[in-house]
Amino acid sequence: MHINYWQEIRNNSLGRIGMIILVLVAGTALLAPVLAPDDPFTQTPDSLESPSAQHPLGTNDVGQDILSRLLYGARTSLATALVVAILATMLSLAAGASAGLIGGLYEKMMMRLVDAFLVIPPMLVVIIAAAYIQPGMIHLVLLLSLLGWPAGARIIRAQTLALKEKLHVRASRTFGAGPLYILKRHIIPDLGPVLTANLIRGARRAVFMEAGLSFLGITDPMTVSWGKMLYHALKYVYLDVWQWWLLPVGIALSLTVMSFTLIGYSLEEAMDPRLRREKHA
Amino acid sequence: MFRLRDSANYLAAFLIILAVNFFLPRLMPGDPLTAIYGEEALVHMTPDAQEELIQRFALDRSLGEQFLEYCSALLRGDLGYSYYFNDTVSAVVFRAVPWTLLLVGTAILISALAGSIAGMESGWRRGKRTDRALLAGIMFLEGFPDFFIGMIMLIVFGVVLKVLPLAGAMTPYAGYTGLALVQDILRHLILPASSLALVNLGGTFLLARNTMVSILGESYIFTARAKGLRERVVSYRHAGRNSLFPVITHIGIQFGRMVTGALFIETVFSYPGLGLLIQKGLQARDYPLLQGVFLVVTVTVLVTNLFVEVLYKKIDPRLRPCISTTGRKLETTV
Repeated sequence: MHINYWQEIRNNSLGRIGMIILVLVAGTALLAPVLAPDDPFTQTPDSLESPSAQHPLGTNDVGQDILSRLLYGARTSLATALVVAILATMLSLAAGASAGLIGGLYEKMMMRLVDAFLVIPPMLVVIIAAAYIQPGMIHLVLLLSLLGWPAGARIIRAQTLALKEKLHVRASRTFGAGPLYILKRHIIPDLGPVLTANLIRGARRAVFMEAGLSFLGITDPMTVSWGKMLYHALKYVYLDVWQWWLLPVGIALSLTVMSFTLIGYSLEEAMDPRLRREKHA
Repeated sequence: MFRLRDSANYLAAFLIILAVNFFLPRLMPGDPLTAIYGEEALVHMTPDAQEELIQRFALDRSLGEQFLEYCSALLRGDLGYSYYFNDTVSAVVFRAVPWTLLLVGTAILISALAGSIAGMESGWRRGKRTDRALLAGIMFLEGFPDFFIGMIMLIVFGVVLKVLPLAGAMTPYAGYTGLALVQDILRHLILPASSLALVNLGGTFLLARNTMVSILGESYIFTARAKGLRERVVSYRHAGRNSLFPVITHIGIQFGRMVTGALFIETVFSYPGLGLLIQKGLQARDYPLLQGVFLVVTVTVLVTNLFVEVLYKKIDPRLRPCISTTGRKLETTV
């Protein structure tokens, strides 16, 4: 599986759109302090104002500038996505690759655990756990990572099993290479595309779940989050404010999720020869 | 054929769920009774009542005995007491279950029908303009979080057009009976159910489309065409029927996702199902209620998945163990 996936994403029009959106969202997240007209936390008496030069998207129920909160919200979403994707993929790699390389009873137990985890809806576990822990950002990220590894572990194990039998891996084993060396030098580099796809899937799920959880009001009240903004905007849906409060936030959230979906899809297309043949038929 | 091996994963999953429910409150720092019942509930309780609860959960005994006590309470159908609703958790949960089932059931029906028809049409016209438009549209929909689709539907049909009700499952105190009641419930169901169906359309659509595409290369399609059958007949009776099979399994697998989605959709539309209970439980920190809903939902999802898996093995002869002509079971399965 030696694919130049950067090239593949760029050549795929869907992937290109996804990359552009993601770069834009990441740019807003990084430049939020520069772009935001106001401090996202300052409460003013001017609540529920319509858009004006001072507040391009108006103000919310406690008089905070909506645009500023929207821009800062990108930080929460992307930071969660990045950390959860990396942590969950590392867990998947540890579990999947070790199961594939060690085999035997350990592999059986590990895969049973993965299968058991896969049939439990993860969102529910996060909700119940979060209700007790009342997580801040760090706990939330850890919680999401801990529940995000099983699906990836399964794919990585399957790939590891296939790679293990490759000639160059066998050859290195005859030269006396141990499992850790094989993992580092041969398995992980060849897992590249699978790991990348896994990272993107993890990022997408993390954005989704963070928004969902903060929509339910579970997360730390001090964090600016799109999900929470949507929840508050929904309470005033009968007023006109949804036009500049609810819609922009929902669209920003959907665009972020969509950019991951598009990149992931173009990657899968690059990796799966069956999908590729269909495209060129 | 039901075999114990099929259910091992589900048994393990069930144990994990039980463990989460049992250990989570007990591992929290501080007094376990506070963690089980939440601070707000304890404030209103007399010391006698607290003493009784400690006895009931066996909190003064070892962890093993507590677990046995917990399991025996579950077996008796005792899920605890919700102080927010001032009723047993099981009663509160089972009042909400029918609404969630109605919502999820309707949404599954809509998404299965619309998804497989659109998928089959799309696959039949692979590479043409309709196919591309459908594919792009559905990929676009996949990107929306469940609750945002719900909000858009709510704004368009409830706020702007004012044609459908904004919240609830029926008009309160309207005193409808018979047909009027059914009509009222359906009117309240349309928005949440179609929102839920819309976000979950993608999987069914892609599956139906892919199966259709691969079936179109089969020789019996060629034969059907050679017989001079009309397009409709070939696409639906020959190709379509056979591409439905994977879709049916997919619906079963999707059930868990749908139920989770329903929790959010219910919050958006204040639909009186389990999702709204979760939201109220979270706001009131009513832990026994949250645990009860969690247990009921996860177990329902597990049972449904197990059922679908067993059913699928029954329908699809390829997954059954081989039976030789002598009637003896062979070791390997194909």
